[in-house]
Order: sequence, then C-alpha cells, then structure tokens
Amino acid sequence: MPSWPAETKYISHSTARVDGAAKVTGKARYSSDIQATGWLYGMILRSKWPAAKITDINLEKALKVPGIRAAVLARGKEFTVRYYGEEIAAVAGTSKQACLDALRAIEVTAQPLPFVVNEADAKKADAPRVWENSPNYKEPNARDRGDVNTAFGQCAAVIEGFYSTPVQIHNPMETMGNTISWTDDGLTAWSSTQGISSVRDGLAGSLKLEHSKVRVITEYMGGGFGAKFGSGVEGALAANLSREAKAPVRLMLTRFDQALAVGNRPSSFQKIKLGAAADGTLLAFEMDNYGTAGIGGGGDAGGGGGGADIPAPYLYKVANSRVKQSAVAVNAGSARAFRAPGNPPASYGIESAMDDLAVKLGMDPVEFRLKNDPSKIRQREYALGVEKFGWKQKYQKPGSSPGVVKTGIGCAGAAWPAGGASKNTHGEAQINPDGTIEFRLGVQDIGTGTRTVIAVVAAEMLGLKPEQITVKVGDTRFPPGPGSGGSTTCPSISPTVFDICTKALQQLQTQTGIADARGENWFAACKKLGVNSLTVPGQWIEGLSSNPAGGVQFAEVEVDTETGLVTVKKILGVHDCGLIVNQLTLESQINGGIIMGMGYALYEERVMDDLSGVMLNPNFETYKLPGIADVPDIEVVLINMPERGVIGIGEPATVPTAGAIANAIANAIGVRVSSLPITPAKILAALGKVPPATA
Amino acid sequence: MKAFQYATAHSTDSARQLVADKGAYLAGGNDLLGLLKEYLISADTLVNIKSLPGLNKIEDGRKAWTIGALVTVAQIENHADIKKTFPGLHEAAADVASLQIRNVATLGGNLAQHSRCWYFRQRDVKCLKKHGDLCYARNSENRYHSLFTGNDCISPVVSSLATTFAALDATAIVLRDGKELRWSMAELYAEAWKNPYAHNSLQPTDLILRVEIPTTRTRSAYMQASDKHAFDWALVSCAAAADMVDGRLKSPRVALGSISPVPHQSEAANSFLEGKVLNDATATQAADLILKDAKPLEHNAYKMPMAHALVRRTLLKLKGDA
Repeated sequence: MPSWPAETKYISHSTARVDGAAKVTGKARYSSDIQATGWLYGMILRSKWPAAKITDINLEKALKVPGIRAAVLARGKEFTVRYYGEEIAAVAGTSKQACLDALRAIEVTAQPLPFVVNEADAKKADAPRVWENSPNYKEPNARDRGDVNTAFGQCAAVIEGFYSTPVQIHNPMETMGNTISWTDDGLTAWSSTQGISSVRDGLAGSLKLEHSKVRVITEYMGGGFGAKFGSGVEGALAANLSREAKAPVRLMLTRFDQALAVGNRPSSFQKIKLGAAADGTLLAFEMDNYGTAGIGGGGDAGGGGGGADIPAPYLYKVANSRVKQSAVAVNAGSARAFRAPGNPPASYGIESAMDDLAVKLGMDPVEFRLKNDPSKIRQREYALGVEKFGWKQKYQKPGSSPGVVKTGIGCAGAAWPAGGASKNTHGEAQINPDGTIEFRLGVQDIGTGTRTVIAVVAAEMLGLKPEQITVKVGDTRFPPGPGSGGSTTCPSISPTVFDICTKALQQLQTQTGIADARGENWFAACKKLGVNSLTVPGQWIEGLSSNPAGGVQFAEVEVDTETGLVTVKKILGVHDCGLIVNQLTLESQINGGIIMGMGYALYEERVMDDLSGVMLNPNFETYKLPGIADVPDIEVVLINMPERGVIGIGEPATVPTAGAIANAIANAIGVRVSSLPITPAKILAALGKVPPATA
Repeated sequence: MKAFQYATAHSTDSARQLVADKGAYLAGGNDLLGLLKEYLISADTLVNIKSLPGLNKIEDGRKAWTIGALVTVAQIENHADIKKTFPGLHEAAADVASLQIRNVATLGGNLAQHSRCWYFRQRDVKCLKKHGDLCYARNSENRYHSLFTGNDCISPVVSSLATTFAALDATAIVLRDGKELRWSMAELYAEAWKNPYAHNSLQPTDLILRVEIPTTRTRSAYMQASDKHAFDWALVSCAAAADMVDGRLKSPRVALGSISPVPHQSEAANSFLEGKVLNDATATQAADLILKDAKPLEHNAYKMPMAHALVRRTLLKLKGDA
C-alpha cells in the first residue's frame, strides 16, 4: 500500500497560490475574459410570464437590427413556459446594445396561464398545476424506525418546532456562460464550468457531435458551487448561435439571468418533534418536511442532486424516528446541486431543535450534543472548540444577557457523508532535459487552488519547490479528470500526482541510472535524458485518500433588541479533512464556506411575488449577500489526520454556520427565530415588539 | 438602453435648452443610468451638467451654509468642518451606499433619485407608479415600504440626505424656467405624497442648484437601521437637529426616512420637544408622537418599533457629552 511521506516540507504546510500573481494582476484569463477572433455577444430572451402557452415567436425584426448576425429559438415556436425567466430565444451580434435591441424586437405570442409561486399555496388541492398531468404536491410516505409514538411517551422532555429555510440562489462571482466556436472542424467551448468533461459530453450529446470533435477549455473560472457541471441551455444556445453566425459567440449570463434560471438550493419547511430522556439521551424524532425545487429538480443536478429532501435526523443517533418528506412544485426556476446539497437546511433544522430541547432539559447544548452524536471525530472537535472558544466562560442562560444589545453563543455540527475520490482521475507529467516539468490533468480549478495542490504534492514527491512545477489544467485534451464537486477534487488529484511522481522517479532511475532523482539530483538526472523529454502517465491509486469529513462551528453574536440588527462577532470552525495538503488554501476554503453560511443565516432569500409571479430581487441590491463589514473574526482550527489520507473540505465548511448563528441568536434573545434568513424584522417579531397591521 | 445624444452644458441656460422636452440631466449617473438600462425611463439627450460653474462648492456662512448640487456625497462625508458643524449630515453621508458610489454620487442626484420599490424597479411589472392599475406592494411584498402615504402608492423616499436636511430645516434651491424656487424638504417631495406617479416635486427640466442649511441648530445626529452593516438601504432612517440652551432644546426637529414618500415629520413631536430637557421619557414621548397615525401593513409593521428606537436614540445623541 502506498503511503504519504511522514516528514514533509510542503504537504500540510502553507504555500501561497501558484497562480495568485496571475489572478491579482489580471493576467489569468477567466472564461468570461476570452476574446476569440471575430467573437460576437450572445444574449437570451426570457419569459416575462410565470406561466404561459407560447403559440408563436417571430425573429424577423430581431434579425434586422443592425449588428445582429444570428437569432435562434430555445425550444421551437410552440411550448409552455413554466416560470418567469425561462429561455425563449437567443441572439448574437456585434455589440451588447445590438443584442438588447434585438431581444426587444422579438415578437412572442403567448397566452398567460394561471401560476403559483409560493410553496404553501402550491400545496393546496385547488392550486394551479405547474405540470398539467401531476399534482404539485404528493403526500409523502412515512419512513419509520422503531416505535416513535411509544418513545415520545417515555420522554422527559419533548419540543415541537417549525423551522424553515428559503430558496438560496446560486451567485458565483463569475456568472454561468461560455464562448463557443462551432465550425465544420468541430466545437471549442471556453466554459465557466466545474466539469470540463461533463460539459464536453453534454454539448456532444445535445448537438449530436462526436466527443473527439468537442474541446472544452477552462483556464480560470469564478466559482461553481454545484451549478456549473453542465453546459446548460445557455451553452446549447451559444453553440447554435455560433453555428448560425459562423463566428465564436460569447454568451455569459447577466446577474439578472443568473438569479432566475440556473439553479438554487431548495427551500425547506421542517416540522420537527424531538424528545429525550432526563439524562439527555434522544429517544424519539419525528419530521415532516417539504420544500420546493421550483418546477422540479433534475436538470444539471450532477454532483449531488437538486431535490428538496434533507438528511434527518442528520448527525444524531435516535432509536425511534418517523420521517416524511416531499417536494412541492412551484412556477420558479429549478434547483441544482448547491454546496453540500441538503445539508445546510438539515443542520439548521435539527441543530435548532437540539438547542430548543437542551433549553427545555436544562442541559448545556454542547453536553447534549456530546451525548447524542456518535462521531468520535466530532466529539474531539467539540472538546477542542469548547476550549478555544471559551464556551464555558461565555455561556449564559438564554435571554439572560443584560441590556439592549444582547450577546449569545451557539454551536452546530456538520457532516459530509459523500465525498471520497473519483477513481477515473488521470494525468501526466512531461519532464524535460533541462529539469523543467509540466503536469497536465484534465481537471479544472473552481477557485479552490487546484493548481497549487498539484504543485505542492509534486514538489514534495520530487524534492523540488512548488514554483518549479508547471501545472496545466482545464482542457479536455489532457488526460481525463473529475468534475470539481462533492468535495472530491483534492482526494482525486493528490493520489494521481503521487502516482505520476512515483512512476517518474522509477523511470528516471531506469533511464539514467541515478538511483534517487529527487532534490539535488533532479537536474543531473534530467540532463541524462539527452534530447528527449520524458512523458509519464499516472492515475488515481487506492490508499491515499478517503472520506468522510466533518466539523463543528461556534458562533458568538450581538443582537440589538431595538433595531433587530445581528452582528456576528466571531465564528470558530474546527474541521477535519484527513491529511492537510495545503493549509493556506484549505483555511481559505473554510473562510469562504463560513461567509456563505452567514449569508444563508442572515441575508439571502429568493423573494417571489404571489401577485405577478416574478422574482422581486434578481440583483445584489435586494438579494442581500454578506459584505466585508458583516464578516466577523473567523478562526479556523484544523485537525490533521495523515493516517486517513486526503479528504475534501469544500462542502462541510458551509454546513453548520447557519445553525450555529441561529442558536447564538436564540441564546442571546431568549426566543427562537425559526426561519432563515434571520432579519431584523423577524427578530423584532420574535421579541413581540411588532404591532398588528392596520392598513 | 435606447440610443441617446450626449451633450455637455456650460451654463444653466444651455443645460435647460439642451434638455428640452425629452432629455435628462446627467451628473453622477448612479440612478439615471440604472433607470435607462432597465428601460424604466427614456431620454433622447443626456446633458452632462458636471461642468456647470459654481455648483461644486461647499461654502460656510454665519447664518447658513451652501452645498452645491454637484458636490459628491463623499465630499460631504469627508469635509472636516461639516463634521463639526452638522455632524448629522456627516453621518448620513457616510452611510450612503458604498465608497465607490459615494465618490461619484452627487447631492442633487441623491435628492432627486427615483423610487427603489422592487415592483417599480422590476422590468416586467407594470405597477401603479408606472401608470399601471395596481400598487402590488400594497397587496403583496411590502417589507421595505411606507407607514405613511397620501396616495395609493406606498413607495417611500430613500434619500437619507433628505431626511437629515429636513431635520436641519434646509432649503433646496431649484431652477425652474430661469427662476430660482426655494423649497423646504417637505415641498421638494410634496408631489410624491399625493401623486402615485411622482418621485418628488421636480419637473423634468427643473434643476437642483444647491442646498442651504441654516446654522441655527448647533446639534444634529443621524442614525439608520438596515439588514446589513454597510452598503444597504436604510429600513428606517432618522435625523434630529436642535440648538441647546441651558440644557433645553431650542427649535428641535426630528425626521424619519424610508417610511413615507416624504421625509416624515410631525409638528406635534417638534413642538412637544421645544424647551424640553432630553431624557428617555421626553425622547419616548416624541417618538410616540411622530409615529402617531402610522398605518403599518402586513410585512412592514416591524418599522414601528425600529423607528421608535431610532427616534429615541437619535434624539439622545443630540445631548452629546454635555
């Protein structure tokens, strides 16, 4: 069995991003920066109706707009649109303004249909149907374990709560999109994607092209979080526009487009009943949950599904449980995989219920968790966190903080049960006689530092410095690699680079006679290659990676009980992910996860309007995201476990933040705000300060 | 946006002529360009007024200060003597949007900006303010909307500088057809109180030239409550100003923003405070008075306790260290 080196110079230490300078100087070319020769702008016409029967689309006037080179239909001229923002047609032209003018010149004949955009309304039997032939909501079957009714009778304390989470919109820094050039020779797509291989397969499939005729390139891209595995409707439209216009077409979505049609995290409405014995042992759990995945999950859900179900009772061992789950369709954009699908809402719901029950039992929330969480690693993390955070010194009874601005603390746990590695990860290294070495892997960097991880592992294995390693990723012409999702990238590529390096050293020994080509012998060995470079392939091997990862987070907040403003003062994250490859980029990923979790806790929410059926906040003005002034002191504590091999961290980092913040708020003000986001309006309402409406 | 002509005006006369029937004045452009890009308004000519002489100055005076309409929000924020003389104005300017926006946003544009109602700004909704049949907000998502209004539209004024100017009893000097009109903040927004289609009392060719702030009130303060800590609209904003004589309030004024189409003031609250010593009890009574007759809706009733707290806090801030 292979094993990672025990003594390391780079692995588990901190190396700055090898492409950091390129990124901050603007030298790095993101997908949205690509300017292929003769390129055109592409733009999409979207439905302004939440539901309508389209009976005709006329592109003639659009094609006459000066500068317009092509116009194509998304799905023919007759079809039903089922949400505000669904794609109808697309145009390509020489300027953004030409495209905007052309979109307004497209004539669409449509009959508006009844619609429903709100979950509770959509559940009603007489609600307009999103899909004609099936009800919006199907009564779920119960999944039973043990005897939940008897068990509740034996509990010393039982709580019932209704915890809800909103639809969260995918808003990576770089929106979705591609530049696509489609000629008789084949198709090249410069995609903002987290899966160059899946985009290639998707484009080849939908356009009926051979895989060998499609090349996907992603040099740099600005975030995916689960939304960017496929080429999407916008990819197919860009390809068709390119074919039609005989020119490359850059079709990047606007922020408005991004909010409507390319994925989101489903909502959840969790009715939870939880009971425990007097010593704190959980005895019974019951949950009835539903949420919406819009018109349906599915489309481009690769890497984790986009359904509305959540894991329950999540981290905790409960002998008796009954779980009912279902989804309700509404006239709104579909769900997609979103960083740790299902887990953040699950964590928020159960962790809120856990704290509510701890209060009723008169137990310390951490003690209560230690009693019921079977994970040995999380037990260790709670112990570490309690110490670092000063939990025992800071903890006060809910609502007992004096004054108008009250402080509180809370905690929550995370698991990421999926993860692991993609076994079909390949790569190669080209070693040149002058000692330069280039790694080529058909993986892509979604911003987590993939190039740096490859350089760090290679430098460690070869006794070189990370800056001496050239790394090329993001091209389907390289040996195939995994999609960057499910927290699998690092555990897929690290063993692959290990394998390439091991084989390279063996081959150098065979060819040059130098027994150990590492470190100071490297250049001498390479020189002995003579005039020919050496190309060494490798692939993922067993024994160097594993799963799952987890963690716990602690939050400290201040709540102004007169204005409702929540200030997060501190978040401590204690996380494990096996062998730490590069500490700096790992911490950065956890920082990002925590900030994203903060947005989920306090600010983010898709607002759909019942009257008009449109989304009211498809922008960063009223779809609120954390800004730098909102971000607290974040401390990350890592448990390095080399014996477990490499494990991904992307998803667990964001899972427990909302639950920890929600619990800290409840601890501060003494009452529970049981729906996210926890806004000042909801805080004031929970405190009983809001008068009834009079108008 | 639709194609437009672009012209630079070097005098107010030529600005007025260039704007003609269908043009618009362009200064910082923060609001105007957004409106044009979303096709919420159209203009055949954008008249750059940044070169108009004399409108980018801050002038102090014994009786009143004058701030030109082209002075940026950042210049107001960073002016050391404004911070000393009108601390409330400094605080209001510092809370506007983001640093990048404050650097280009002008005083005139801040006062003249249009509704931020999310139905008004939604490109595919034809609401009452856009001459549709229905105020959607009144019947649906009204969390950011008004507690007071004199018409069917419940979109509030969001200029926090206007809130502060109302408390300071400042005057906007508006050029209309070659004549200078002197308007209180109440007058500047009066049309929006009664007319659902109006954002303020300005006609398309009217040009705000400057704002005059009397120095009678030696103390002022501003506070706002938002969902976030920065770069977020006020859910409620509050400004207060007064002189203090022997520990008693003289000529006090309180104003609230984001809860009415005009900066919300109450004569009853202002008169009540006259001659009073500021303490929790008097501040609370003033807050009760200023919110009297508010009409909270389904989703904006939280603004009642929020506004109440802000009135108390802002008033007590006037006490300073004294």
